[in-house]
Formats: sequence, C-alpha cells, structure tokens
Amino acid sequence: MIGNVIKYEQDNIDTDVIIPGTYLKIHDYNELATHAMEGIDPEFPSKVKEGDFIVAGKNFGCGSSREHAPIALSTCGIKAVIATSFARIFYRNSVDGAFLLPIEIDDETYLKISNSDQLEVNIEKNEIKNLTKNEVYNIKPFSEIIAKIIAAGGLFKYKK
Amino acid sequence: MAETLFEKIWNSHVVVERENEPSLIYIDRHLVHEVTSPQAFDGLRLNNRKVRRPDLTIATIDHNVPTTDRSLPMIDETSSTQIKTLEQNCKDFGIKLFGINDPNQGIVHVIGPQLGITLPGSTIVCGDSHTSTQGAFGAFAFGIGTSEVEHTLATQTLWLEKPKTFEIFATGKRNNSFAVTSKDIILSIIKKIGTDGGTGHVLEYRGDAINDLSMEQRMTICNMSIEAGSRAGLIAPDAKTFDYINNKKYTPKNYDELVETWKETLMSDTNVKFDKSFTIDVEKIEPQVSWGTNPAMVSDVTGIVPTPEEYGQNNDVQVESAKKALAYMNLEPETPIVEISIDRVFIGSCTNARLEDLKDAAEIVRGKKVNPNVSAMVVPGSQMVKHEAEKLGLDKIFIDANFEWRESGCSMCLGMNPDILKPGERCASTSNRNFEGRQGSGGRTHLVSPVMAAASAITGHFIDVREWS
Repeated sequence: MIGNVIKYEQDNIDTDVIIPGTYLKIHDYNELATHAMEGIDPEFPSKVKEGDFIVAGKNFGCGSSREHAPIALSTCGIKAVIATSFARIFYRNSVDGAFLLPIEIDDETYLKISNSDQLEVNIEKNEIKNLTKNEVYNIKPFSEIIAKIIAAGGLFKYKK
Repeated sequence: MAETLFEKIWNSHVVVERENEPSLIYIDRHLVHEVTSPQAFDGLRLNNRKVRRPDLTIATIDHNVPTTDRSLPMIDETSSTQIKTLEQNCKDFGIKLFGINDPNQGIVHVIGPQLGITLPGSTIVCGDSHTSTQGAFGAFAFGIGTSEVEHTLATQTLWLEKPKTFEIFATGKRNNSFAVTSKDIILSIIKKIGTDGGTGHVLEYRGDAINDLSMEQRMTICNMSIEAGSRAGLIAPDAKTFDYINNKKYTPKNYDELVETWKETLMSDTNVKFDKSFTIDVEKIEPQVSWGTNPAMVSDVTGIVPTPEEYGQNNDVQVESAKKALAYMNLEPETPIVEISIDRVFIGSCTNARLEDLKDAAEIVRGKKVNPNVSAMVVPGSQMVKHEAEKLGLDKIFIDANFEWRESGCSMCLGMNPDILKPGERCASTSNRNFEGRQGSGGRTHLVSPVMAAASAITGHFIDVREWS
C-alpha cells in the first residue's frame, strides 16, 4: 500500500471536525466525502488523492460514534490513518466496515514523518517505509482480535 | 477471585470466549435513533436478515428534530427524510418507536432510564457515544458505530475486546452542593486524566462523593466518561438506583425479586484490584468553565484562561493545541473567567437536561431577566421532563425571564437541527463537547453546569454561582 501523507500536527482530531454534525443527514457516501475534514481543513476534499494517508497525533477520532467519519475519509480515498493513538469507537468503526486501517505509531515516528512524504505501509511486516526519506518505521501491531476482523474484511465477514 | 462490577457484568454476558479472540457478548437492550441506523437497516435488507429481538430494541427520534412547534411541517427536507426512514424501518422490522409526537419522545439516553428500560447489571448499546450515561444504573452501556448497530440488530450480540478497569475514587463533600454540581466534578476529572485518560478502560466511579449524588447527577458523570476516552462509565446501584427505576412504564414485573439479586451481586468485591486508579477530593472543586476546544481545557470559575505554555507544560503539541484553541475561541491568555461575556445560553442535552437540572437552573433564574445582550433557551431532555417541569411551573419561570422554552431533543448540543450558533457567537452550554464547530460552524462553546449557564444568562458573563443571591 503506497500513498502520500497529509499530516495534521494535532492531537484530539475529533469526529465533529472530520465530519460536522450538520452533514450526518446525508445518506450518499460521495456527497458525505465532499465535507470530509471540513472542520479543520476545508481544502481537504480537493487536495486528497486516492491512496493517501492521514498522519496525526494522539486520540484521533475522539467524540461521536458516527461511522460517517471513517466513511467520509475512506470515500475520499484515504486508505489509512496513521496516528499515535485512536479513540476507541472510531478505531472499531474503521475496521468493522473495512473503511480504512487505523495504524498506531510511536511519538518518534510521528515526528519523523512529514507532510507529502511517500510511504509504503505493510501491515503483514508491521512496518512503514518512508520512500521519500528512505527510512523504515515500526507499526504497533494490531491486536489479534482486530487483525482477524481486518483479515476477514470487516465485522460481518468475520464469523466463528 | 475478587471481581470488579464491570467484570461481573461482562462475565454474565459472555456467549463465546476464547483466548486471543474477541468475546461474543450478549446485548440486553438496543436503543436506536435516526442518525446512526439507516445504513444498518439497509444492510439487513440487502442480506435478507431480520431483527433478531425486536422486543429488546427501542427507537426514538432525537438528533435532528425541530425543537419548535411540531405541528408545523419540517423545513429541513433531509432531516425529514431521515426521520421518515426510521419510521419506515421500525414499521418494517417491528420495532417500538417513540416518534416525533409521542409523549415519551426524547433524547435516547434520557428516556431509557425514564421508561425503566435501563436496568442494573445489563448490557446496553446505542449508536451514540453518550450511551455511557446509562452506566449510572450499574449497567455496561456503551456507544457503537453503524456496523455494530447492524450486527446487534441481526444477532443481539457483539464481538468485543474486553476493556480494562479504571477506578475513579471521589472523596469528600462538595463545598456547596447547589453551586458545585456533578458537571463540575466530571469536568475536573477530565481536566486531570485527560481526553484519552480512559482509553481502553471502563471507569467505575466510587466513594462517598459519588454515593452522595442523586441518580440524575450520576447520569451527568457517566455521560461524560466518553470525553475521557473511556469505553463506558458505571456506578454500582444502590437504594437510589432501585427507587428511580421502580414503577416506570417498562419496569419488569418481577422487579422486587430482581432488586434482591442486584443488591447481593452488583458491586465490586472488597479489595479487588483495578487496572488503574485515580482519586479526587471533591471538597476542593469549584464551579468549572471550559475555555478551549476539548473537554479537558477547563478552568475554575475564580481562575483565568491559562497561557498556552502553562497549559502545555513543555509538551510542544499541547502548547500548539492551546494556541489554536485560544485563537478559535478568541480568548486572550490570563483573562479572568468571570470577565468572559457570552451571547447565547443553551440549557439542554443528554448531559444536563433532566428535571433536577431544570429545577436548579430555574432556582437561579426565578424573578430575574436574561441579560439584553444574551439569547437563552431551555431544551428539556424529553417530553416527560418537559411535562413534569411544566407541572412545577418551571416553564413560566424561564419564559418570564425571557428564556425560550422548547420541545425536547438533542438540539444545539450538536447542531444537526436549526438550533445552531452563528459564526463567532459565544455560548454557555450545559452540553458535553466544546469541539470546534460542534454547535455550528465558527461557534464558540463553553461547557458549564446548568446553574452556571442560568446565572451567566442573567449577568451576561460567567460568575461564581456560589455567591449567587
């Protein structure tokens, strides 16, 4: 999985800025995507490209349980959010609907990755290659539980 | 082995548990609202699935209902469509709906307890993060996303990772039990443990200062557990809990028997070990006012807006986030909190729009007038709250003081209906989130208790409500 970084040097990026409440009435994913990140970066839908990654600080996706948040990002083309930590409901929503991968990194890695860097994310090897800077970072491995839901392709495909 | 209350509830709901696998947990009650459910019902239709237990599933409409006269047609077409969709879904799948004109309509977390649907020791889910509110009854109640809503509708179970346990031990006595509220206690806790302090944990609030609180005050505490990142918050049930649920519309017929069992089982064992623990002395807590853009950015009412450096304490990201928050809030560091003027007051939301909240706010407002520079509104948490408040004449007190008295719903807490702030407007709000744009694009939110909101509506700025006369 190769893509470019859109970095927000912030903690606590909440679901109200990812997709403001007024748009939760929208049923159509493509229309929802036109408002992604509107609360902090109205330019986001026009600059994001298919396959891009968001990089951010801790507690990404805190707040509401709205699954519209990972849906809006994923419909824009975001394949993974790479952050130092995630709020729990956003994290589960991302993998339950197989919308995007929530990838945890340590603080040091977070500081090394810059906006526009090209990354290759490999969840089998638990590593990120920074193709722009020629560096390799570790990913905090998914718990076995989450890894299985991801491998199955979402909550409904995960069956015992 | 000694167990916490949470572990007891969890263990009694495990359907399947294997090492290194998620646990399949049985869900006792599923509450549904119009915003997070449409795709879930679509998914059921697509796969020819039924709702497994329509009898354990209850729906209401709260997020985007107008709070003005409901005999008039809705202006917002997309909201109207979303409401009609839930009505049709409930009809098609045989789910009880408390619709827009039902006397039991209201914010989902307010009506659950009022109807006796919320029971101690049970597992409760809803596609809404503030489901944690109902943990006040000793239930494991937590918010889920739409995929999990669909999974619960289809199977009445969820695959979950077992959360860890976190004890919040509150000691002491509040220095003024009217002016220092449970909202001030929970804001103080979030200020200390942070917006991610509870991540991966279920908080159990314990101690004399918690036992001292009424059920409605306890709900305010559990409601905001999610703002500390936790999976849920809960409080062991006691006589107040059992009294609250007694004689409600859906109180179980064998209630007395249930209470006897709950009394014996629903508490953390003596000397049990929690994964984490935090102690707070409520005696030192003052009325709180948030100054920033997350619920940990909070000051004492006698304090000042901190400098970014003071708030960040050598953490560059924190310093930057405080700078950004102050710019958004248009506040200068070191401004005394009591000198912050406001434009709007919102008394409402699942955090603080129950009867006691409205009674306390009315006590402040009685015989006074809203400051001419302020526009203020009260949005009761449910039609039942509204009706009970009107029986007590609270509506007249608010209306005489120039507050607007509205119909029940989520309203300006999240700005999905027409109740929103204009860009730049500053609001004293009894809700739960002060995120950028939460109450309307460019709107500025200060989280406060109902008495603080009421007092600031009168004065036009924040004030130490302990000195109110």
